[in-house]
Amino acid sequence: MTSARKRAQRRTAYLFLFLPAALLGAFAFYPMVGVFILSLRHYNPLTGGDFVGAANYARLFADPNFWWSLLNSVIYLAVTPILIILSLGVAMILRERLKGRDFFRTLYFVPVVTPIVIIGITWRWIFHEDLGLLNYILVESGIVTHKVHWLTSYPLNLLSTMVVTIWRGIGYYMIIFLAGLTMIPTELEEAAILDGASWLKRTIHVTVPLLKPTIITVFILSSIAAVKVFTEIYVILPGAPSSNKTLVAYMYQTAFEQFDMGYASAIGVLLFLFTLVFSYFNMRLLERGGASWSY
Amino acid sequence: MELLRKMLLYSVLSLVAVIMAGPFLWLLSTSLKSTGEIFAWPPSLFPAELKLANYPAAWNAVPFGTYFINSIIVTLTTVLLTVGFAALAAFPLARLNFPGRSIAVGMVLATLIIPQEVIVIPLYTTVLHLGLADTLAGVILPFSVSAFGVFLLRQAYLAIPRELEEAAAIDGASTIRIWWSILLPLVKPAAAALAILSFIGTWGDFLWPLIVLRSQEHYTLQVGLSTMIQSFAANYRLVAAGAVIATVPVIIVFLAMQKTFVRGILMGSGK
Repeated sequence: MTSARKRAQRRTAYLFLFLPAALLGAFAFYPMVGVFILSLRHYNPLTGGDFVGAANYARLFADPNFWWSLLNSVIYLAVTPILIILSLGVAMILRERLKGRDFFRTLYFVPVVTPIVIIGITWRWIFHEDLGLLNYILVESGIVTHKVHWLTSYPLNLLSTMVVTIWRGIGYYMIIFLAGLTMIPTELEEAAILDGASWLKRTIHVTVPLLKPTIITVFILSSIAAVKVFTEIYVILPGAPSSNKTLVAYMYQTAFEQFDMGYASAIGVLLFLFTLVFSYFNMRLLERGGASWSY
Repeated sequence: MELLRKMLLYSVLSLVAVIMAGPFLWLLSTSLKSTGEIFAWPPSLFPAELKLANYPAAWNAVPFGTYFINSIIVTLTTVLLTVGFAALAAFPLARLNFPGRSIAVGMVLATLIIPQEVIVIPLYTTVLHLGLADTLAGVILPFSVSAFGVFLLRQAYLAIPRELEEAAAIDGASTIRIWWSILLPLVKPAAAALAILSFIGTWGDFLWPLIVLRSQEHYTLQVGLSTMIQSFAANYRLVAAGAVIATVPVIIVFLAMQKTFVRGILMGSGK
């Protein structure tokens, strides 16, 4: 390459990168550093605030609501194994040459593209204690004798929102599993069929081990999504006490309802450390052509 | 045996279909009921008479038209900027030699591991200081460059064989010209997938618009709907009607562009 051409390339590179880099700098890198700095201050956007060192972190350790929200976020991670089993199960059926499988695939995917606020509105009404469809079905069929407090008693209210997250996620991970299933070699499964292995045995001993990379991808994506959960909690459990909420919901409440932004930033830093474990593996996968988009 | 197996599979598929579609049908049914019927016990599966009037009522109970227009502005602008910036920034990161390239790629990857939720507080103070709080620009600008989008488009540029641009370079075409007339058309499928992902993601976005927008006339649909739950709690048929209206655009876009959308998700997950 001639040096004139090299110079031209360099000029073009900086020209193309200038604006995107400036925006990423202002709205991604600066806030990344900012959350650590803010966590060391007592900060209210209206009145400002002072540097308080590690005081916010000391407060965190003594705040039962923080520990509750951390516990709730850990509990929320239980959606991951359930999502893996359900979406893999659905994908195993829909990989077969069945009539109408495109219809089922599309239908199962509709919750994925529907905004979470709308899904929250839908499920809140189904979980409604006095008028909800769920209590009606359960009472009528004799499964329960009294109406269940789906949204007002802890930990049931948290489990109810987890059900919604699972319901919405199945179609998304199903798509990833379907793609993973098309990439595994068919010879081994065919050999297992010839050996007379049952569908269940074949699935557990042949298909699932071959799918391990896809299962890891889904595990990481759904764990990160579970740790970040906010909208479901905000829409379905608006009146719930802080101790019933997840980390992001508690952070939002502290920052944007109580305007205690320094303290909320300390929660944000803890949230970051929590997600870092999963994100690290996500990035390693990404470098090898792996995973990263989550809704 | 084969027949029995098929019947079993279809039973499972149908059960899952009922679980997936049921909540939406229940929402639709609720949106068409009268007030009396909402409070009826046992609840009726189908409305006794179709109260289509709930839809105009919901539309007029809150500034729904304004919410709708705001959502359209935010979504279309974000899609345009996201795709445009990604197509721009990813090109030098994939194809050009310049000092600092590997650092720049590393930084794009680094922003991917920080969840939006972690940085929203300092992001809000930044937007506040820029005078963009409670504006649509404040909702749009911070997420107009998507690290994920840059990453996706970079993969697409990297997949193009080098020979194509080398031939053009020998013919004396400038770098920008090569980008515009040779490379850009080849990354169109990736750009289309990014556009759909960005459309559906932005339309449903909630946390950030909720934080930035304070006055009702700036609300997006999702923020407006979330406040409707509180103020119309006793009138759920209107909330349901509003929710149905707000769902229609994404469902249309999804059904029309389903293949592209699914391809985008799979590109993002490395498949």
